[in-house]
Amino acid sequence: MSNLKKKFLNQLGFFVGTPAILWQFLFLWVPLIFVLYISFTSAVTPIINSFSFLNLTINNYLELLDFTHLKVILRSLFIASVNTFLCLTIGYPVAYYLALYLKKLKSLALFLLTLPFWINFLVHIYAWFFILERGGLLNQLLIYLGLISEPLTFINSQFATALVMLHVYLPFMIMPIYTVLEKFNKTLIEASLDLGATHGQTFWRVTIPLSFSGIRTGALLVFVMSFGEYAIPILMGGSKTFYVGGLITEYFLIARNMPKGAAFMVLSTLGLGLALILMLGFNLSAKSKTRAKISGAS
Amino acid sequence: MNGIRLVNIDKKLSGTQVLQEFNLNIPGGSFFALLGPSGCGKTTLLRLIAGFEQVDAGKIFLGTEDITNTPINQRRINTVFQNYALFPHLNVFDNIAYGLRLKNFSLKDIKAKVEQVLTAVHMEQFADRDVTLLSGGQQQRVALARAIVNEPAVLLLDEPLAALDLQLREKMLVELIELQSQLKTTFVYVTHDQTEALAVADYMVIMGPQGVIEQVGAPKEIYEYPATSFVANFVGSSNIFQGTLLASEVEEHWELMVDQLGNFSIATHQSEFWMKDGAELLMSVRPEKLVISKVKLTGPKHNFANSVTGTVSAIIYHGRSTEYNVSLKTGQLIQIFEQNDQHLVVGDLIDYDDQVYVYWHSNAATLMPR
Repeated sequence: MSNLKKKFLNQLGFFVGTPAILWQFLFLWVPLIFVLYISFTSAVTPIINSFSFLNLTINNYLELLDFTHLKVILRSLFIASVNTFLCLTIGYPVAYYLALYLKKLKSLALFLLTLPFWINFLVHIYAWFFILERGGLLNQLLIYLGLISEPLTFINSQFATALVMLHVYLPFMIMPIYTVLEKFNKTLIEASLDLGATHGQTFWRVTIPLSFSGIRTGALLVFVMSFGEYAIPILMGGSKTFYVGGLITEYFLIARNMPKGAAFMVLSTLGLGLALILMLGFNLSAKSKTRAKISGAS
Repeated sequence: MNGIRLVNIDKKLSGTQVLQEFNLNIPGGSFFALLGPSGCGKTTLLRLIAGFEQVDAGKIFLGTEDITNTPINQRRINTVFQNYALFPHLNVFDNIAYGLRLKNFSLKDIKAKVEQVLTAVHMEQFADRDVTLLSGGQQQRVALARAIVNEPAVLLLDEPLAALDLQLREKMLVELIELQSQLKTTFVYVTHDQTEALAVADYMVIMGPQGVIEQVGAPKEIYEYPATSFVANFVGSSNIFQGTLLASEVEEHWELMVDQLGNFSIATHQSEFWMKDGAELLMSVRPEKLVISKVKLTGPKHNFANSVTGTVSAIIYHGRSTEYNVSLKTGQLIQIFEQNDQHLVVGDLIDYDDQVYVYWHSNAATLMPR
């Protein structure tokens, strides 16, 4: 092999990766840097005319540091946590069943799982109106069963938001866990039972640790996406409760205060980052704890 | 000592009757081998004893205790799996300690017990290792340690050496025999490899293709006196002649009249109900008990009772022995193993298409029913 060819092959990864890196730089990092810059400008002076570092201000941030805005971030973190938790508790058994027990119907089940993605996201959300509205299917059913006499209000509530978010994000939890469990060696379950473990002990000591990478991926996807979710709270949650996505839109498009919107975006991203670091830190400390137990014992 | 007793076991797996009216006694404290071809039901049998499968009918006893309906995790039985089934997220120490931790032993006891078994399997310095980075033989040892640390009454081994190369397999065989004689635990060893079974077992059972027991006994007994032609061919190889039995005046001496080949004399201790004058039956002679020669052997030194002649049709050199295939005039092909106890002398060698004499002593043969 010629020297040149060898050199080229050694650098192949770089050449192949370059377009993706460029893409990410141009369309993710550059806009983000813009947003960061805008967050330090003043709303009074037009942005284009203010490309001067002399006019920078932290006023936008100071104005946002109040309980109202903190509450929006916390509310978003809260609904993201709840959604992640619900997706995990509902999604894990589904993934487990799909990966380890379903044989003939597996491909059909996987197809059904991805079917919702074929439908436009908004249509997907609107479909829930027919179920949840005052004259909707759910109320009709409950009245028919005699459980209620007057229709209940499901729509325009945090309940509706959470319900639809759960529905939309569930596949994002199931898929990564399924992928990991698909490769899971079932003999390990038998080995654990053989060594005296109950089914419960086997689940917590073998199955969960070995599918943890899938849980982490799924949780990360669902948590981050739910945190920034815009359409579902707007359509399902009514106009009273704001989440991060809605409030940023409010500042950018309704109030036309781009610097303030940008600053709020930066703050909420920091909030999300902090939450993820806390989660990751918890994860790491749990790991080091087991390590300590091991080295202490051996 | 806790043996295993299987009584009238029926087991169907996805519609196929794997075991029917199956009875077996595994003596306590013995190294017991379950030998049979693939698909004969030996793994199913092991899974029934371990508790991974439930019997359709029948009972399983551990000692005097009926364990037919005892859940897996409460049976005093541990398994060494074919592909080891070590927990990849735990290191060597934690894999072995897994069962002990479930039983709430103190950390001090766990440490002591794990160290003890690690020494027993020669893996002392590997406690902190990641199991996924171990070689096949080392993983095998960890799997063994993980099972015996629980001090089971019975240890089940499912083709434990199948994934190892020949040299390591022979080494592990010796270690297994030593371990068993130290622990005095009942070992039930499933294999399709007859040399492994002959080497390790105190007793063995040969299972036929349909899940039926062909023969139970000590390895020597089974090798020297195979009960059926299946056993004769599955455990080692054998030359089988079919003929009519003729009784003689001398006790324990018989003659077998074989079409076209003449009468062969047989001296055997066997005394079975089917051994009677005029019975049609089979005679088995092991290939290593045959002597092959280009010239006719005579004199007291070569006092063989039986001989046949034939043409050499194949010669396979195995190093320590040479295998000859000789075709007889009946068309039957017989197999001869000759120990290469001297350097082969060029010129005196037997070659393809040579006419040869094949001899055997009268006590080299065994009788079997048809």
